[in-house]
Amino acid sequence: MTTTVINGRKKFFSQNNVYVPHVCVIEKIVDETPTIRTFHFKFKDEKMQQAFTFESGQFGEYTVFGSGEATFCISSSPTRKDHFEVALQRAGKVTNAFHRLEVGSEIGFRGPYGNSFPLELLKGKNLVFVGGGIGLAPLRSLIWNVIDNRDLYEKVDIIYGARSPSDLSFKYDLETWSKDTRLNMVTTIDRADPAWSGRVGMVPTVLEQVAPSPKNAIAIVCGPPIMIRFTFPALAKLGFTPDQMITTLEKRMKCGIGKCGRCNIGPVFVCKDGPVFSYAQIKSFITNEA
Amino acid sequence: MAKKINKKEIGRLLEEWAKEFTVFVPSLEKDTSKPAKWDGKDVSFIEKYRNTTVPPKSLFFPLLEEMFRYEKDGKGYQVTAPAVRNQKTLIFGVRPCDASALAMLDTAFADGYQDPYYLDRRKNSVLIGLTCINPYDSCFCTSLGSSPSEIKNVDIMLTDTGDIYLVEEISDKGKELTGKSNILTAASEADIARAKTVKDNAGQKVTRKVNTKNITKKLQAINEDKEFWEKAAAKCVSCGVCTFFCPTCYCFDITDAKEKKQVKRQRCWDSCQFGIYTQMPAENPRSEKWKRVRQKVCHKYEYYPMNYQQTIACTGCGRCIRLCPVNWDITQVINSVPEKVTVESK
Repeated sequence: MTTTVINGRKKFFSQNNVYVPHVCVIEKIVDETPTIRTFHFKFKDEKMQQAFTFESGQFGEYTVFGSGEATFCISSSPTRKDHFEVALQRAGKVTNAFHRLEVGSEIGFRGPYGNSFPLELLKGKNLVFVGGGIGLAPLRSLIWNVIDNRDLYEKVDIIYGARSPSDLSFKYDLETWSKDTRLNMVTTIDRADPAWSGRVGMVPTVLEQVAPSPKNAIAIVCGPPIMIRFTFPALAKLGFTPDQMITTLEKRMKCGIGKCGRCNIGPVFVCKDGPVFSYAQIKSFITNEA
Repeated sequence: MAKKINKKEIGRLLEEWAKEFTVFVPSLEKDTSKPAKWDGKDVSFIEKYRNTTVPPKSLFFPLLEEMFRYEKDGKGYQVTAPAVRNQKTLIFGVRPCDASALAMLDTAFADGYQDPYYLDRRKNSVLIGLTCINPYDSCFCTSLGSSPSEIKNVDIMLTDTGDIYLVEEISDKGKELTGKSNILTAASEADIARAKTVKDNAGQKVTRKVNTKNITKKLQAINEDKEFWEKAAAKCVSCGVCTFFCPTCYCFDITDAKEKKQVKRQRCWDSCQFGIYTQMPAENPRSEKWKRVRQKVCHKYEYYPMNYQQTIACTGCGRCIRLCPVNWDITQVINSVPEKVTVESK
């Protein structure tokens, strides 16, 4: 393992080669929804496990040995470094292979890549988290980060929704957060369901009902593209300006480090200039491409 | 000090270089011209090629390459990266357009994270340029700050003046090489003057022009002009040949391939012209052809210049025009970008 600093961020290379993954071991697997699982992992190399650091919002390239490599954010908080977590939805070749892994299986990891949520900007602010489906994964890293440094932030609202009760991820977190008196946790599902006695409605609609004040506030948004598209106008209606809205984007990636070419939106590369952007930075192209 | 070499002696010079370097020369492989390992004998390539179909980027960034391999043993997965790629290479007959393209790839592969595969190979390479005395009618290098005799990005520049090559030492690497050789002799004023005539004539043969004035700003203004891009993309068949053989294109895919008990992680050229290139499980940001054609054109004339000191990532080599099955022509697209834009921005 070698460490180096690139663009002010610490990097950990295996065999001094950015493309070579570190071997990690899966410690625990949590079924989130019928299609989403969270994998807890540790680096096999004890030195690497100790040295590794990242920031909320950053991502990694994960190898399922024998199947290939894919991109996911780190869904645990850097304030909790005992192990690391990645939550992923079964969709393609690599994610399906990932879901077939067992506790004790080995995976490859390289990273952390990309920028992160702007903690300095968030300090002393009211935070409004707006998430949908698997989009809670990157937000969750920041939410736990905020909870572990709770005094640095003001009021915290979390508005999270999914299609149905069984599609809600991180139910154990939702439960903890809803009991936390210093958080306002609002959970919703898209359509009424006999198994659900809570709030019903699409996330952008519920956001307008909760109506957090834009005063001294920052909204952090992540979810499916359709949710994001309707959430920005909803926030604008509440009085949030584009630089008070932050999101994290997802694109198909191969290298994660600005070389392979596919994750750009215009001159901006989601892998190295993002994945975290303010709406002010991306609003010119989000209508057309995001 | 410029030097010269009698054309008949070029084989001897290559032999001399071959002692220190693996020498690559223009060759024909399965009907496709490309820089390939010199067989140590044949020098007929000297008069045979204009420019190779496959650009010399293939020597530093191969069409397909192994990045590392892994296998499982009793202790788990072992990942083995290949040894340092320190083979010293000499590429003979590089055209100025392709040499400047390599300078652009150098920037991209070294920006932020170092790409060890490309950069290791590149570090140990010498480029022997050759004035392009017979450019194609699809060439337009002179519109992009270059010319058929541009010396900027090569180590040594050769110019064919009939019986001799004028040999200009450009870089320190080049000077070291020419200094070692006793086959080269001092060029006379007359040799240099003859070479200048050859160079000037070559420059005049490039008649195709592309209007690059303010092009980055002009493209920014029409980025969302769907009508413009649909027209520009109308006849494109998304075959990707323009990007595959483009000397400045460097997109790649990464895949795993099983080989007995081991798995190879490899990368291969990819193309932004393929719909699957940006496909994600639930959506595809460039599912429409016009967005892919816009990506190709704007990456070269808008995005790359914005990210890297206003350098346009097109060298006017003309391959995308020559090789296109439907006569798509990037110069027509660039030249049709409106000077003043009336489209409302969203």
